[in-house]
Amino acid sequence: MASVQISGLRKLYGDVVALSDINISIESGAFFTLLGPSGCGKTTLLRTIAGFHFQNAGTISINGASIEKAAAHKRDVGMVFQDYAVFPHLSVADNVAFGLKQRKLTREEIGSRVAKALRIVQLELFAERMPHELSGGQQQRVGLARAIVINPAVLLMDEPLSNLDAKLRVDLRAELRNIQKNMGTTTVYVTHDQEEALAMSDVVCVMFDGVIQQAASPVEIYKRPANRFVADFVGGNNFLQTSSNKGDVSLAAGGAAVGSVDADRAVLAAVRPEDVAVHVENAPVGPNRIEVPVTIDQISFIGREMEVHGRTSTGELLKAASRPDEIVLGQGEGSAAVFTFDKDNVSLFEDHETGQRLS
Amino acid sequence: MRAPGANMGILGGFRPSFWSVVTVLVVLVLFTLLILPIFSVFVVSFFDGKTGEFTLNNYVQVFTRNYYLKGLQNTLFVGSLGTLGACLIGVPLAFFTTRFRIRGQAVISTLAILVLVAPPFIGAYAWIMMLGSNGFITNFFANVGISIPTIYGAHGIILVFTLKFFPFVFLMTQTALKSINKSFEDAAENLGCNALQRFFKITLPLVFPAVSTGAIICFVLSIADFGTPAILGRGVRTLSTIAYSAYTSELGGTPTMAVTISLVMMAISMLALLAQRRILSKRRYASAMTNRPVVYQLTGLRNMLAHGYCYAVVSIAMLPTAVVIYTSFLETNGPVFTGKYGFSSYARVISDAPEAIVNSFTFALSAVCLIAIFSGLISYLIVRRDTAVSGMIDLLMMVPYLVPGVVMAIGFVTTFRTGLFDLAGTSIIIIMVYFIRRLPYGVRSTTNSMRQVKPSIEEAAINLGASPLRAFMTVTVPLILPGLIVGSLMSFITAINELSSTLILYTSGTVTMPVKIYISVLDGEFGLAAALSTILLVCTGLCVYTVFLLADDRESSFV
Repeated sequence: MASVQISGLRKLYGDVVALSDINISIESGAFFTLLGPSGCGKTTLLRTIAGFHFQNAGTISINGASIEKAAAHKRDVGMVFQDYAVFPHLSVADNVAFGLKQRKLTREEIGSRVAKALRIVQLELFAERMPHELSGGQQQRVGLARAIVINPAVLLMDEPLSNLDAKLRVDLRAELRNIQKNMGTTTVYVTHDQEEALAMSDVVCVMFDGVIQQAASPVEIYKRPANRFVADFVGGNNFLQTSSNKGDVSLAAGGAAVGSVDADRAVLAAVRPEDVAVHVENAPVGPNRIEVPVTIDQISFIGREMEVHGRTSTGELLKAASRPDEIVLGQGEGSAAVFTFDKDNVSLFEDHETGQRLS
Repeated sequence: MRAPGANMGILGGFRPSFWSVVTVLVVLVLFTLLILPIFSVFVVSFFDGKTGEFTLNNYVQVFTRNYYLKGLQNTLFVGSLGTLGACLIGVPLAFFTTRFRIRGQAVISTLAILVLVAPPFIGAYAWIMMLGSNGFITNFFANVGISIPTIYGAHGIILVFTLKFFPFVFLMTQTALKSINKSFEDAAENLGCNALQRFFKITLPLVFPAVSTGAIICFVLSIADFGTPAILGRGVRTLSTIAYSAYTSELGGTPTMAVTISLVMMAISMLALLAQRRILSKRRYASAMTNRPVVYQLTGLRNMLAHGYCYAVVSIAMLPTAVVIYTSFLETNGPVFTGKYGFSSYARVISDAPEAIVNSFTFALSAVCLIAIFSGLISYLIVRRDTAVSGMIDLLMMVPYLVPGVVMAIGFVTTFRTGLFDLAGTSIIIIMVYFIRRLPYGVRSTTNSMRQVKPSIEEAAINLGASPLRAFMTVTVPLILPGLIVGSLMSFITAINELSSTLILYTSGTVTMPVKIYISVLDGEFGLAAALSTILLVCTGLCVYTVFLLADDRESSFV
C-alpha cells in the first residue's frame, strides 16, 4: 500500500511540451486512471513514473520518498504493457519469476510466490507453457502475474486490454479490478476507452495536450465535467451556441433561458444526447423543459437505442439518443420534430476547446 | 530547466548510464580503427614521400603518368565489363527462377551462394589450371591441333568477375521479382503489351533498384579485387595490383604512391555508389503487396532451354571450385602433377603450412568474437537509441564496404606504427583489420534481428529490476541470437577468406591460408594451393550450411 505524489512534473520533447505542470495525488490503494485521446501525454506520464523517461522538472514520490531521480530498474513499480511484453524465450513460470530472481530471493520463496501469482491470474495449469502457446488474453495474464508477483508499491498499466477483442476486454476488465481490490495495490491505469475508465476507476484523470483537465470520481466526471473538453470526451455532448442578455443565457436556436452567467460573454450550452427527448407530435411542456424545433437529418437504429440527428433553425446539429420509438423511426429525413430537454441537464461552458464550466 | 536527456542516469553526482558508456566506447573504437587509418592514408597522399612537403603531385602523377592512367583505364574497363557480365547472366537467372517452374530451385540458390562465399582468387587460379598456358582444356585442344586463347589478360579477369559476382545481382533481383505486384504486369498486358515488351517496359524498370544495387556491389568488389588481376593479369595491371607493387617497392619508406592510388580506387567506388543512389532517389516504387506473381510451368523446348540456362550458369560458376577440389587429390611431384590420385598435397599442407591454418583460424575467430560483441552493442545503439551519434554510427557501418582492403591495411600500418608502439607485423594488427572490415556483416544481420524485438520486452525486464546491462544480456541477447550467429558466421566466412589487406600486413609468422594459397599459386605449387583452398572451402561450406539452418531468409543473409 502506497500513496503517490506528483508535483510540478514537466516533460519536453525538443520544443514540444508533452507534460505541463502535472500535479497529482493518489491515495493508497486507489485505482487511478489516466484517460485521454492519443497524444494527450497519458502514456508519457505513466512511463515517466516507471522511469523510462526522465522529467525536465518536478518530483514524483511514493509514500513521501522521492523517486524521480532513481534509475528505472531501481523503482519499486510493476508495469503491465499494452503489447504484453512477455519474454518470448522464457516459460510462463520463468517470466513470472524474472523479477524475483533480480531480487535474489531463495528458490523456495520464488517457487511459492510464482505459484501463488499464477493462481491469482488463473494460469496455474500453464506454468510450463511457452508464450507463443498462449492466447493474447493469457499472455496479458502472464504480464499481470509478472508485475504483481514482486509486490510493487505501485502497479502501472499501459492500456493493457486494448489489444484484446471486445468480449474478452470486458471480462478481463472486471477480473483485473477484482484482483486489484483484493491486493489493495495502488494502481495507475492508462486508457483511451472512457467506458473502461468509468467502469474500473476510483479516480479518473482526464488529460489533454499534456495538461490535466479534471481528476475526480467517475460519477463526478460524467455529471459535472470541469470543462468543455471533458464534457465532450467523456460521454459526448451536444454543444449549442447561445446568446446572453443581462446574464440570462438562451439558445441561439430559440427557447427559454437555459441558465445564467455573471457577465455577458461567449457561452456554449451542453446537453447529453441521452437527456434529449424526441417529439414528433405534441411536445409535453413542463416548467423546466427547453424546446428546440428541428428538422430531422438522420435516424439510426442501433439496437438498444436509436440515434436521431436534428438540425436546428440556426443550422446546428443536435443529437438525441433514446429508446427506439416506432413513430420516430417511421419518420423520414427532412420531417419536422421538437427536441426537448430539462434545464437542469444543461451545462454552460466558456466557448473554447478547454473552456471552463460556468454553471 | 535542464535540457531533455541531459539528466539521464544522473543519481546525485555524475553517473553515466550504461548505454552512454557503450556509445562512447563504440565511438572511440570506430574512431581509432576506422576514421583514423583512413584519415592518415588521406594525409599521406598529400605529402611528398621523400621530402615530406605538402604537394598535390601524387595525384597529378596518377592522372598524368601513362603507367597509372593505363591502370585506371584497366580497372574501369574490367570492373564495368565484369559488372555488365554479372547483370547479363544474373538478371535472366533471377527471372527464370522466379517466373518459371524450375526444378531444384534450392540447388541453384545454394550453388549461387557457394560461388559467392568461395574466395575469389581460387576462381582465378582454377581457371589457370583449365585455360592457362598449361591448362588441361588448353592442352586438350592443343592435342587435337586447335590453339585457343589463354585465360590471361583483361578478358580472363572479366570472365572471372562475371562468374564470381553474378550471384549478387541474381539474389537481389530474385528477391525483388518475388515481391513485385503482379497487377502492374497484368495491367500492362491488359493495355496490349506482349510478354517481351512487358518484361522490358514494366518488370525490368520495377526491379531496377535491386538490379542496380547488385550491380554496384559487383562494381565496388571488382574495383577492389586484388587476387584476380594479380593472378590472371600478366600484362594487365589494375589499380589494386599497382597499389600493391607500389607498396612493396616503397617498403620501409612512406607508401605515398600506394596510398594515393588506393584513394583513387576508393573515390571511384564512392562515386559509383553516389551515382546509383542519385538515380534511385528518383525511382521509388513502393507498392502494397496485393497480388503475388504467378509461377508458370513451361513446356517442351522452352522448358528445356530455361532449365539448361539456369543449370549451365551455376555449373560453370562452380567449375573452378570443383577443379580445385579435384586437383587437391592429385599426386604431385614438386609443381608437376603425376596423374595419380592421393593425399600428398594434404600431407604437404600439414608439413609445410600448418601455421597458415592455425593463424587463419586464430585471426578470424578472434576477430569474430569481437565482432559478435560489438555487433550486439552497436545494433542496440542503432535500433534503440534515436540520437545523432547512433545515426552517425549507422552511417559509418557503410564505410568498410567501400574501403578496399589495400587502403585499410596501409592505413593501419601508417597509424599503428609510431614511436610509442609498433603493431606492424603483429597478429593484433591483422585481427584489428579483420574486425573493422567485417564488422558491418555482423551489425547488419544483428540489427535486422534487433528490429524484431519489441522495446517493451527490455523495458519489462528493467521494470522488474534488471539493470540495463542485465536486461540486455538476459532478454535482448537471447532474442537476437539467431541474427547474431548468422552475422558472425558471415563475418567469419569473409574474414577467413581475406587476402588483400593480409597480404600487406603479414610477416613470416602471420601467414594465413589465403596468403599461402596466393604465394603457392605464384610459385606454381598448384597442389598445395588446391589442398589449402579445399580446406578453406570446406570451412566456408560448413558455415554456409549453419547459416541455412538458422536464418529465416536464407538468400538475403548473403547479400
